[in-house]
Order: sequence, then structure tokens, then C-alpha cells
Amino acid sequence: MSVLTNPQLWASTLAMTVPLALPAIGGTFSERAGVVNIAMEGIMLIGAFFGVAFSYWTGSPWLGLVLGVLMGGLLAAIFAWAAIRLAADQVVLGMAVNIFASGLTAFLLNTLFGYGGTPPETPSLPFVSLPGLGPVFAHQSVLLYVMLAIVVISHWFLFHTRLGLRIRAVGENPLAADTAGLNVWRLRYIGVIVGGMLSALGGVYLSIGILNSFDVDMTNGRGFIALAAMIFGKWTPVGSFLASLLFGFATALGVALQGQGVSPDLLSMIPYVLTILALAGLVGRSTPPAADGIPYTPIR
Amino acid sequence: MRHRATVAAAAILLLGLVAGCGRAVNQAQNATGNAAGAAPKVNFKVGLVTDSGGLNDHGFNHLSDVGLKKAEAELGVQGSVVESKSESDYVPNLQRFAQQGYNLVIAVGFLMDEAVKQVAPQYPNTKFLIIDDPITGINNVTSAMFKTEQCGYLVGAMAGLMEKRTGIPGMNAQNVLGVVGGQKIPPVDSYIAGFIQGVKKTDPDGKVIVKYVNSFTDQAGGSQVAQTEIAGGADIVFQVAGGSGIGVINAAKSAGVYAIGVDADQNYVAPNTVIVSALKGVDTATYDVIRDTLNNQFKSGVQYFDLANNGVGISKPIGVVPSDIVNQVNDLANQIKSGAITVSDQMPQS
Repeated sequence: MSVLTNPQLWASTLAMTVPLALPAIGGTFSERAGVVNIAMEGIMLIGAFFGVAFSYWTGSPWLGLVLGVLMGGLLAAIFAWAAIRLAADQVVLGMAVNIFASGLTAFLLNTLFGYGGTPPETPSLPFVSLPGLGPVFAHQSVLLYVMLAIVVISHWFLFHTRLGLRIRAVGENPLAADTAGLNVWRLRYIGVIVGGMLSALGGVYLSIGILNSFDVDMTNGRGFIALAAMIFGKWTPVGSFLASLLFGFATALGVALQGQGVSPDLLSMIPYVLTILALAGLVGRSTPPAADGIPYTPIR
Repeated sequence: MRHRATVAAAAILLLGLVAGCGRAVNQAQNATGNAAGAAPKVNFKVGLVTDSGGLNDHGFNHLSDVGLKKAEAELGVQGSVVESKSESDYVPNLQRFAQQGYNLVIAVGFLMDEAVKQVAPQYPNTKFLIIDDPITGINNVTSAMFKTEQCGYLVGAMAGLMEKRTGIPGMNAQNVLGVVGGQKIPPVDSYIAGFIQGVKKTDPDGKVIVKYVNSFTDQAGGSQVAQTEIAGGADIVFQVAGGSGIGVINAAKSAGVYAIGVDADQNYVAPNTVIVSALKGVDTATYDVIRDTLNNQFKSGVQYFDLANNGVGISKPIGVVPSDIVNQVNDLANQIKSGAITVSDQMPQS
């Protein structure tokens, strides 16, 4: 099995995990607060586009990162306003955000940069190699390490802090939380917007983390795979990360096995087959937060 | 109150949708209005329908648009472009132009084969051009086919010669080359088939790793596939992957190895990395067909564009390619033109 011992397979696995784990954890935040979020794909695109655009305009990829994440947070805030304040159908709304973001970024790309695409001299975030850990960590984006930190911090935040408990409370039983004096709407806004910023960070990774350019629909459905990873991971940050790792591995394995007599079309199905198997009960029951997707009207 | 606000929110999102999706670019006014010394306007309308790759594919959709722009500036025709968002847009987009009485409708890409066969017979007064797909037997359809296996052969021969040479900076000791395809479809595989035959000619022991991204718009995926090949020893990577290919070039650049561009001269993406590009003259073909149709010289059936009529070719290699290698490749080009070498567009059985 020289395929499995090839360090490149594991390096690819990690590189392909980042743009799934970040939006999957982002979705976890949103849904734990009780708002169904299928808009990760669109928010990633916004993060990816503005990450590259501001990196080029300011000359600093770090500013690009910050502003890309903020723009993703802004779109998430608009989504949250419609979902929470206006009690709109969250699935329809999420789909609208996805289509809107795809059209908007394509329009802005062509208007601001032309059909030649984003300029090749755009600076990108640094690659960091950890000495002593071998070739797997020899050429990884700095955002890989940021993502690993986010997994730990998110877990601690959601399950070991008062604010995290409150966010989970409004996703499970908003009436009880409201009766206890919590501001349900504000907590839900926090969940959706933080989640949006994490999704946008996933987009930033794609555009200036491992590349330095943006292209129309470059997220290529990763926001939806992240959705599956979130469910597979039972709405927890660590679970989302492990599920993303599995999908990342499946993608990398599909690439590695190509040219060994198996059709590339079949191999590209591996992550999706895994998704179906996972959701068909291989991981046991996956129960969403009880009030997930149900708008709440405060009792006052 | 809440109801009204919901309606308002829906309206805002809808507006966004219209602005985002309705990316029909009417370039007639722009191009003919701005270009200094433009040809006088003629009453001849050309509609261009891109495939789902869109105008920013850095490849053949883009090149077709370049050809149309040139025709607007030099021949005075009125052009209009619509980008297809998905495969289901092809028929309505083609019909839209035909219904409006356009003289010529250009369908860019192999993927539009069925759509053209369906629409063209309904509009006998409109002429159709399809790129990359051979359609025969319909009077108002002409097909432009490119023998990209020939330019693929030339860049493959060049890459093989580079592999065998020692002392070129950035090249490793392993005799391995990489190819990254977009999808396994004929217009991609003809390039790759040519590349493999070219390598075989100049570097018979060379190993060619071929992998596909399975997407033309996934730069991150392209980058990963390229990194896998580079880790396998490839130090020249040929990309035939549309938008995903930008990720391939990026990966080659960051690993300090070389890349070969496709369709258009892609040296601008990474000037010290892209040593040469295999060119497909979609711009020239588009322009020529517009000109011929305008002059009532429209020919139905299949027209072939190859090295001999400059329909395909290679760009000028950068300085890192030794000049004697460039000369050998030019010599091979002449042999293909004269028919001394024939290149197959079929992938060798492995």
C-alpha cells in the first residue's frame, strides 16, 4: 500500500480538510443557536472574493483575511436579520444567500478585475513548515494551524463557557431560555454571525490561503459538504472536524488513486458515497438541536 | 409589520438575484462606441453563448469573446454575449439570439452539441457556429475543430527534451512529467494524447502522470492534484483544466517547478513558471467565421484548424528553455505540417 504511506496523501488530506472544517464548525455555531444555516457555500464565496480583493488593494494578505472574514460576517448578519427578526424560512433564505453570493462575486470579479481574473501579483498568506514533523507539515498554510486552534477553542466555548451554554439553550428551548431572562434574539445573532465569520475564513483559505486568486464558484460545493460534515459530526466542533478530516482524506485518496486503472469519475464519488453512508446511520443517530430552524417570537 | 418587512427582504434578495444572474453583457455599444477608428457599423448581429465555464475561464470561452471583440472593432458587426450558468441554460440562450433575428450565433464548446442540434433546424435564417464539436448534416451549422493533439505533441516534445537535459535550474533528477486535466472529455484528452506522444518521441523512458480535477472551476482542487504529481517527482506540469488550471500553475510556482499553459498564452499568470503554452486559436476561428458569414461565404460542416493553417500552435518559450530545444521543437512542428509525423487524438491504451 505505497499509496497510504505516501506523505503527500496525508499532506493533501490536511489541506483539503481546512475548507470543510471551518464552515462545518461555522454551521455548528449557527444551528446550535437554533438557526438552520445552509448558506455556508455563499458566505465562503464572499470571504474568498473579498479576501483576495482586499489583499490586492491593501498589499497585505492579513488585512485581506480580516476584511474577508468581516464581509462574511456582514452577509451572515443580513441572513440572521431575515431569519431571526423577520422569521423567514431559513432553508429558502440560505439558498437565496448562496445564489446571491455566487452572482455578486462573479459580477464584482468581472467588473473590478475583468475577465483576466484577479492579478497574479496578489500577495497570499504564508505557508508554515513545522520542523521535525516531516513532509506532511512541510508546506501547509498558516490557516491549517489556525483551524486546529479554532476546533479546540470552539469546543471549549460552546461546552465550557456560560455564553456557550446560553447559545445552546436558545437552540434547544428558546421559550425556557427566554423565561429565564436570556435575550434569545441576541444570542441567535451571535451564533449566526460567528458561524458566518468561520465560514468566510474557510473561503479566505481557498483564495489567499493556498492560492492567490479568485474564480467564479471556486468553492465548488464545499459549503454543502461542510453541511454534511456538521451533521455527521453531530453538531459539535470536534465531530465536525473529524468528519471533515474523513472527507478530506476521501478527496485526497481519490486523487492519489487516479491513474491506477480506476476511472477518475468513479473516484471523485468517494466523498459523496461516504456522506450517504455516514448519514444513513453508520454513525448512529444524529439529533439536531431541538429548536433548530424554528423562528422564535419573544414573550414580551 | 413583520409581513411587510419580509416582503421587503424578499424584494431585496430578488433584486440581487437579477443583478447577479442576468449577466448578459451587451457589448455592442461599448465596443463600437469606444474603439477609436472603429469600422463603420454594419447591420449584422452576432450572439455568443458561453458554456458553463463562463468568460473568465482563462481559456476558450474567453478566447471566443476576444475573437468577437476583434470582429466588432474591425468589421463593425454588433456583438452580444450571454454566459450560461448551467447546462439547462444552453437551449434558451441559443433560442433567445435566434428569435431576435441574429445573423450568427456562436455556441462555445463541446458541451453544447445537443442544444445546437435541437435549436439550429428551427431557425434556418440564422447561422450557427459551434466550437470543439463536429456537427454535420445541418445546413446552417458550421463546426470549428482544433487539432490540439498537435500543439499538445509539441509541448510534450519540449518537456521531454527538458527532462533529458541536465543543469536546468528547478529540474530534479527524476524523469517524470505531470498532466492535470479538467474532466475526461475529448477536447481535454486530445491535448493529453498529443502530449504523451510528444514525450514518447523525445524522451521514451519518461513517465507521464495523468490526473483529473473533475471540475473546470476548482482552483484549490487543481492545486492539490498538481501537488500530488509534483510530490511524485513531476517537475513540469501541463494543465488542461480551464479555471482549475490556475491552481495548477500556482502549485508549480510555489513548489519551484515548471508549468505549461493551455488554450491561451498563460505566461502572465506566473512569468517564471509557465515555460510555454499550447495555443488553441479559438479567437482566430471565431473571427474568421464571422468574417466569412458576413461576406456570404458561410460553409456548413466541419472546418479543421491545425498547425498548418495556424489554428493551433505554441507560444514563445521563456528563456529557461535552451534555444536548441526550441529549434528541435520547431523542426517537429514542420514535420507535422508536412505530414511526415501524424499525431493521434486518442489516448494511448495503458
